[in-house]
Amino acid sequence: MSPKTHSRRRVRLWRLLRGVILFGLCFVIAFPLLYMLSCAFRDPADMNDPTVLWIPRHLSLQPIRDVLRVTNAGTTLWHTIRMNLLSAVFQVISCAVTGYGFARFRFPGRKLLFFIVILMILVPNQIILLPQYMQFQEFDVLGLLRLTTGSTIKLINTPWVMYLPAISANGIRAGLMILLFRQSFRGLPQELEDAACLDGCGPVRTFVYIMVPNASSAFLTVFLFSVVWYWNDSYVSGMFFTNQETVALAVKGLRTTLNMQLFGNASVNAGARETIVWLEAGCLLSLAPMLLFYIFLQKYFTESIERSGLVA
Amino acid sequence: MKRSYERRRRLYGYGFIGVWLLGAIQWFLIPLIASVLYSFQEVNPNKGGMTGIWVGLSNYRTAFFSDPNFRTNLLDALRDTALQTPLILIFSLFIAVLLNQKFRGRTLARAMFFLPVIIATGPVYNIISGNMATGGGSSAEQFSTLFETNLVDRFLTYLGLYGTDSPLTTLIRLITDNLQSLVWHSGVQILIFLAALQSIPTSAREAAEIEGAGAWDFFWRITLPYVSPMILANLIYTVLDAFTAPDNVVMQRVLAVRQDSLHGLASAMAWSYFLVVLVVVGIVVALLRHAIYYESE
Repeated sequence: MSPKTHSRRRVRLWRLLRGVILFGLCFVIAFPLLYMLSCAFRDPADMNDPTVLWIPRHLSLQPIRDVLRVTNAGTTLWHTIRMNLLSAVFQVISCAVTGYGFARFRFPGRKLLFFIVILMILVPNQIILLPQYMQFQEFDVLGLLRLTTGSTIKLINTPWVMYLPAISANGIRAGLMILLFRQSFRGLPQELEDAACLDGCGPVRTFVYIMVPNASSAFLTVFLFSVVWYWNDSYVSGMFFTNQETVALAVKGLRTTLNMQLFGNASVNAGARETIVWLEAGCLLSLAPMLLFYIFLQKYFTESIERSGLVA
Repeated sequence: MKRSYERRRRLYGYGFIGVWLLGAIQWFLIPLIASVLYSFQEVNPNKGGMTGIWVGLSNYRTAFFSDPNFRTNLLDALRDTALQTPLILIFSLFIAVLLNQKFRGRTLARAMFFLPVIIATGPVYNIISGNMATGGGSSAEQFSTLFETNLVDRFLTYLGLYGTDSPLTTLIRLITDNLQSLVWHSGVQILIFLAALQSIPTSAREAAEIEGAGAWDFFWRITLPYVSPMILANLIYTVLDAFTAPDNVVMQRVLAVRQDSLHGLASAMAWSYFLVVLVVVGIVVALLRHAIYYESE
């Protein structure tokens, strides 16, 4: 065989192999989701029917309707969206400001303070969650409130539990965001700021009118990821919200809620086979908004990291 | 009074990071220190807050010596992470290389691989991957039959690789057993590697082509060095991710202990785990530092 045919064969073989691998893996990813879709639209009785594996015999919106009712979906969804968007916006702004401070200003203690940011990334939430809970339980800044009003505010179960940290760039994965912004701003040419300075802009104006527009991809990245992480968070919110205010929490407690509402008894040990329909419906409902979000903005997600300047 | 330029810059610097600093003190540093203090105390919830009795290292001693599960959980978690992390790194680099090539449907493929990151909430992941604890056993059974080890074994013997103890078969077996978890936990890493791959300067590529480097050479001499800083970043990210994953046994133990209101013990456990992880990561980072190639240096 001529060397040309040989290498052409090799290329084709490689393409085939690559296609198979990628398709196979995509299938691995899609499999649980397809199963979820199949279950969610199934009449509960179908679960006991051994012939039904993928395609339900009776299509029904019953599980979805039940879950919507049981989790008080309208309010929960609205609460989640509101908390989500506000926190994400707060976080973007505060992390950007902080990132810029670290990127372009020299001040004593800069290294130490940035080390704290790194620490924020490294230390897992579980360690500080409990003391934070205590703080929110009796929120009191430096003892001032107690002095003035004689008592403290209880912030647990209010959205301020999420907003306050976000406003001060201490929200979920904030350390990472600060780092991202810092790298982004560092990557912008110094000449931009020099030009702004010559035009008479102070640091704040420089930031708002020059830096922000130039780092727009970093802003987008942080915003998108913040939205996703706040939406998916069940650990932090589980700690701070004792009622099931957010979508993620609703799914977490779905089993107990279902037991209460459908069977009248919270500790009924309904077999997995029976409750799976509703559980999957619950999953579908909680995923749907994020999925839609992702489908429309997918390009921005996947290209975001390269554009943000974090690499190189 | 005339303020020097430097001084103004300094003040502005503090100004920019000011809000963060206040928040960090309140919501990060103070809780951090409190948590350390808790670990040295026996903490009990009380009507007004927490009362703590100083017990020194007793909590740590309990964690390591008396608690029936902690030590085994710790070792298990460490071992699992040690196995999973390199797998995830290799896997995501491989996929990133694949996804970096030009082919039809590339955007869709990228979108698919990143999908788990968007969806992976703790409870949702448990349900759809068939975790028995939260319900949903049926989907797991059906899934595992697809990738049953028997099939892999049979396939391998068909190919002529008999001894099932060779490192290659163990590796393959490792991959297929954990395939689902692997794929679901690599999303971010794949993206980061992709970004790194795309930042390989064309000058390097062209030089390689002129020198007649084949694909294999290209990978080891060009791709790997340029990607190496991100290997470190991904390593740290993966380890931390494993740490905070909802199905991390050590964390579950910490939670369980917390339910029993033994907050001091829970803190001690969490800190021990964290310190161990930190030390291990620190060692790995120190070792790898010299292997990393920085374009600018």
